[in-house]
Amino acid sequence: MSADPSPPAVLVRGLVKRYGDVTALDGLDLHVPRGACFGLLGPNGAGKTTAIHILCTLANPTQGLARVLGYDVTRDRAAVRARLGLVFQEASLDRELSARENLDIHARLYHLPDRRRRVEEMLALVDLAADAGRPVRHFSGGMKRRLEIARGLLHAPDVLFLDEPTLGLDIRARRAIWDHLRKIRAGRDLTIVLTTHYLEEADALCDEVAIIDRGRIAACGAPEALKSALGGDVVAIAMDRPEGAEMALRRVEGVSRVTREGDTARVTVAEGARRIPALLDAARPFGIREVHLHRPSLEEVFLRHTGHAFESGAAGGDGSREGAA
Amino acid sequence: MRFLEDLWTIALREFLRYRRDRAYVLGQILVPILVVGFIGFGLNPVVAIPGGGTDYLGWLSTGFLVLMLSSGAIGGGFTLIQDREAGFLRAILVAPVSRASIVLGKILSRIAMSVLLVAVLVAIFLPFTPIRLFHPLVSLVALGGLSFAFVSFGVLLATRLRALESYRLIAGLVTVPLYLTSGIFFPVKTMPAALRGLAHANPVTYGVDLFRYGLTGVHELPLPLDATIVLALGALLTVLAVASFDRRSRD
Repeated sequence: MSADPSPPAVLVRGLVKRYGDVTALDGLDLHVPRGACFGLLGPNGAGKTTAIHILCTLANPTQGLARVLGYDVTRDRAAVRARLGLVFQEASLDRELSARENLDIHARLYHLPDRRRRVEEMLALVDLAADAGRPVRHFSGGMKRRLEIARGLLHAPDVLFLDEPTLGLDIRARRAIWDHLRKIRAGRDLTIVLTTHYLEEADALCDEVAIIDRGRIAACGAPEALKSALGGDVVAIAMDRPEGAEMALRRVEGVSRVTREGDTARVTVAEGARRIPALLDAARPFGIREVHLHRPSLEEVFLRHTGHAFESGAAGGDGSREGAA
Repeated sequence: MRFLEDLWTIALREFLRYRRDRAYVLGQILVPILVVGFIGFGLNPVVAIPGGGTDYLGWLSTGFLVLMLSSGAIGGGFTLIQDREAGFLRAILVAPVSRASIVLGKILSRIAMSVLLVAVLVAIFLPFTPIRLFHPLVSLVALGGLSFAFVSFGVLLATRLRALESYRLIAGLVTVPLYLTSGIFFPVKTMPAALRGLAHANPVTYGVDLFRYGLTGVHELPLPLDATIVLALGALLTVLAVASFDRRSRD
């Protein structure tokens, strides 16, 4: 079915989705290599959920191409569905059934061999073995999320989509989910595609992020590379006798800019952490008092590429739009 | 084969939920016992069924079983909306399972539960009412046709409505007139002309007549006509429900 012998996990070209006169996706392009942990980062309403729904065959694109592992999401629906796992933004468990029953029903729907063993294995993986017999309606938010992740992984998918995996969780539960996701990735040939509007989440989990704004990609790359593209880190050095320090600092490898305000020199440098020893050597004759390393955040990356601050949100489609039925 | 397995999985989940919902199960058994017990025994000495064959108790108890069956069956659509609201439906839709097996699993599990309920109630009613196992298979045919029709109608409604409240309202608005003009509570023959016209236009009337015949031997309408209408209605609505779900489960 797929001509390419080793297609990327996700390939999207010029994807457009309109709901009536609302444009949720406006020419989206994505390329997610296999085995990556890929983050779709954007404010609420940027089109992240719509993109996930199309990739998971829950919505039809208005225009454009979308492939998962080389299979077209509109034509090879069944092949796509069999290979993906999905953790929804909103709860999608049967609250009246126990955790074990939820997984069992899911295992049956995917016709998994050795159902019992896999269910128990997944329950253990997300630390829910002790609560497996309780109805899900008694679970906390974090427990439900973990169960959803276990369900998404039950059929050993090649690609796991997570739509806002930690939305609405407190910081402890969020970190627990991150730990579980890292644990799950280790030792598995699994591609993870997650959407998030938490910048620190993308930073903590993803090897590659795409910044999505108003239905299109504003920037894409490894979080570190995106941040360095802003011109790198800033090392601020306060000195006792700063006169003439700029000249010396400019000669250090990697430095692109030096400014001085009072007794503090601000050095813009790629890979600031690695350059600190050389910078200190250069600044030592001037009497170093304090050193600060400031690394640009993804928030600054977002601002640079979209021209507006992250939380101000975006126009365009409502990201939480659901498929019908 | 895969299709049947998927169908069974969907049904299995319904059974697991049903088993947990003790209040609902108890209500479904107690309500008909109370209604038939009080109204049936209360009106039995007052009301005579023209043409004979059965008394009012036999009339009402058979009719009310159809009402219980139908209202239980139409709940299938209700659970579909619940599943959608709880988000569970999306989890099923993204699984490699055909849309048809999802709807048919819903429909068949509802029918199985409805038929089981009616069987239990018939067993309870047998010693106290004129109900007898005259042609139980005929009643089963009526049950099957009506269940398919009502569950499918519920599913059709559920694919078009978003909110549980509007589902309840519309289901009530449609079913109450259907129940009242279908010969569940009183015979069609003795209805005023206008009402009788409605009764003849109401497909449920034929199902009630067929069901009652199987458990009492009494009927008001030609039996082949009863059977034809009930089965045709069940088949038609089921096809429409499957098609509608398939279409509306994607945007």
